[in-house]
Amino acid sequence: MSGEHASRQLIGRYVLGDADIPGDELFALESHLESCAVCRARLADTAADRAPAVGLLLENVWSELEPASRASAPMPVERRWARWLATWASPGMVPWLGVSTLVAGLAWVLAEVYRNGSAVVLLLAPILPLLGVAASWARGLDPAYELVVATPRAGLYLVLRRTLAVLVVVIPLLLVCGAFLHASPGLWLLPCLAYTAGTLAVGGVIGVGRAATALALLWAVFVIAPSIGQQRLSIVLDPRALPVWGAVLVAAAVVVVTRSRAYTRLGSQL
Amino acid sequence: MDEEQLVRRVAKGDRTAFEELYRLTSPWLAVRLRRRCSDDQVVAEVMQETYLAVWRAASSFAGTAAGGSAVGWVWTIAARRLVDAFRRRAHHARTPVVALHDVVSPAAEEEVLAETVGDDLGGALRRLSPELRQVLQAMVLDGLSVRETAVLLGVPEGTVKTRARRARIAMREALS
Amino acid sequence: MIRAVGAAEVAPAAYAWEIRAEGLKVKAGRRLAVDGLDLSLGAGVHGLLGPNGAGKTTLIRSLATVLRPADGDLELLGASVGGRIDLRQVRRQLGYLPQEFGYYKRFTVREFVEYMAWLKEMSKKDIPAAVQRAIERVGLADRADDRLKTLSGGMVRRAGIAQAIVNDPRVLLLDEPTAGLDPAQRMQFRELLHEFGTDTCVLVSTHLVEDVAAACTDVLLMDRGKTIFQGTPDDLAAAGDTSAAGDSAIERGYSTVLARTGGGRGSW
Repeated sequence: MSGEHASRQLIGRYVLGDADIPGDELFALESHLESCAVCRARLADTAADRAPAVGLLLENVWSELEPASRASAPMPVERRWARWLATWASPGMVPWLGVSTLVAGLAWVLAEVYRNGSAVVLLLAPILPLLGVAASWARGLDPAYELVVATPRAGLYLVLRRTLAVLVVVIPLLLVCGAFLHASPGLWLLPCLAYTAGTLAVGGVIGVGRAATALALLWAVFVIAPSIGQQRLSIVLDPRALPVWGAVLVAAAVVVVTRSRAYTRLGSQL
Repeated sequence: MDEEQLVRRVAKGDRTAFEELYRLTSPWLAVRLRRRCSDDQVVAEVMQETYLAVWRAASSFAGTAAGGSAVGWVWTIAARRLVDAFRRRAHHARTPVVALHDVVSPAAEEEVLAETVGDDLGGALRRLSPELRQVLQAMVLDGLSVRETAVLLGVPEGTVKTRARRARIAMREALS
Repeated sequence: MIRAVGAAEVAPAAYAWEIRAEGLKVKAGRRLAVDGLDLSLGAGVHGLLGPNGAGKTTLIRSLATVLRPADGDLELLGASVGGRIDLRQVRRQLGYLPQEFGYYKRFTVREFVEYMAWLKEMSKKDIPAAVQRAIERVGLADRADDRLKTLSGGMVRRAGIAQAIVNDPRVLLLDEPTAGLDPAQRMQFRELLHEFGTDTCVLVSTHLVEDVAAACTDVLLMDRGKTIFQGTPDDLAAAGDTSAAGDSAIERGYSTVLARTGGGRGSW
């Protein structure tokens, strides 16, 4: 549309509300006006000259608009980072991520005291993310649960997104603890991821929150307690068990992906 | 200063920029709205709401439209406010739509902005019956959805869809 | 600004009723709260009345796709939601405000509505303008950037209504939306309902009979999991005995119909 403008005659007819302007010219004119300041200025001049009703309208509007705009403040520049963060971790999760941190810290202290550092990390790693995962879907902890569950995004995508947020917090924590307590990531990372994936898979059947609680309890009863009682690391944490954990991770991932529809029904499990 | 820069300054609370933006864009907006609604009071209401929204939410434009036009953004706000105003009145059965006139198509004495609308398309548009053209204007030019168009024109959604389909067929025939 | 109009957008509608249920059964916990309910709702404002425990909230939750039906047919916007279909498409066109409405206290009104708009998969460039419009429609424009915890109960509920309408839903489900609103706000809310009723299917569950009388194009009365009455507010008022309990014609109609079907025998 470069260089060509609408004729004053056409603009005049437009301003005066002429209903007989041919369809294609009208289309072209209105579309052109949206992008051409020169023609808008011509329109303003024409309206001022030939259409007093428009001028009156504009004055009336401004007389109401001016005080109204004084009475309300413009929107502050967005706290975009806060909003972006909320799409990863719902506000209900934040305190529980804090609790996870506390637990990790506590474990480190205990480990220092009992000089069995690496074992503590290995024992805790698989269930530490579960606290955050449970929090992300626990009705009691997420005040807007009922609202969230009825939205299109509630489903596997959101579950994975929130789980990822949990892992992003928990895994570095474990890495740091592990570094201090000489627990190599190669030993606990795979069980940790596999257990988390397994929780999601089971969660597709009984509800992610319930699955997280149940599996955390199972781990506590069948792995942590015996390990402490017998002063010997449970067999599932043995390096030779790692391939099994790998298989668990893959199987869980497959289950989660193939049953992705189940996650849109999270609410109906309660 | 162009409109985009003005909007960015409005976002920071610059009242002078707001007044200037109003001065530059309100004549165009008023004329365009008056061609869709015959009640000046409704137009005034819609314009007030639109510019108030512009004042309050200017920073959301600066945020989203990278390369979008400020004037286009103002129109999207105004169009929806217009539809809302019609909805409010539809309940009270006072819908102030612009009356349809039969489009008489004079010959080429009129200056045509030929580059925007090609000749075939232009002719087809010209020959469309008024109701079909109205639907096309609402949906294509004003950017309204089927539901919003139905409210604006005061016809059922099914009718809007039928007319839109017929218009598309007519236009496609013109191009082939 | 020219926009392209796709064929799908102007294809004829695939459904006759926005909400259609046949023999719907929904469990709340272990109890069958909705027991063989039939429903056909199109555009307009439909009021849902009934005693406590009638199953109103369970019905609304099942329409919001939060609860899975135990039995029967339920179709929303032509899509059957009982089976194993993808609910996302339907949910994009839903608006829902639950009775117990939880929210994140540290969010501002705008942030909250924007978060919900994101969850409803609205396109990113549309969200800010739609949020602004929703906030203005519920009359919270001046408090848009205040945190929710600083607002009164009525304002919080209005923020909840804003998130329900931000995506311009075709089906709007409101459970006790006027709780905590003063009479002036209730009147403005009714105006908003009227606006929506022109082209949206709105279902409002409420205890306030006068809200129903003023705002609704038709009324459903529910008791013990079934609909026992469907008609205009005037029909309900006409069904009332002069001797029945109630201060207004429509209240008398309500208690008459309820008593007729054996409900309300000594229970509230």
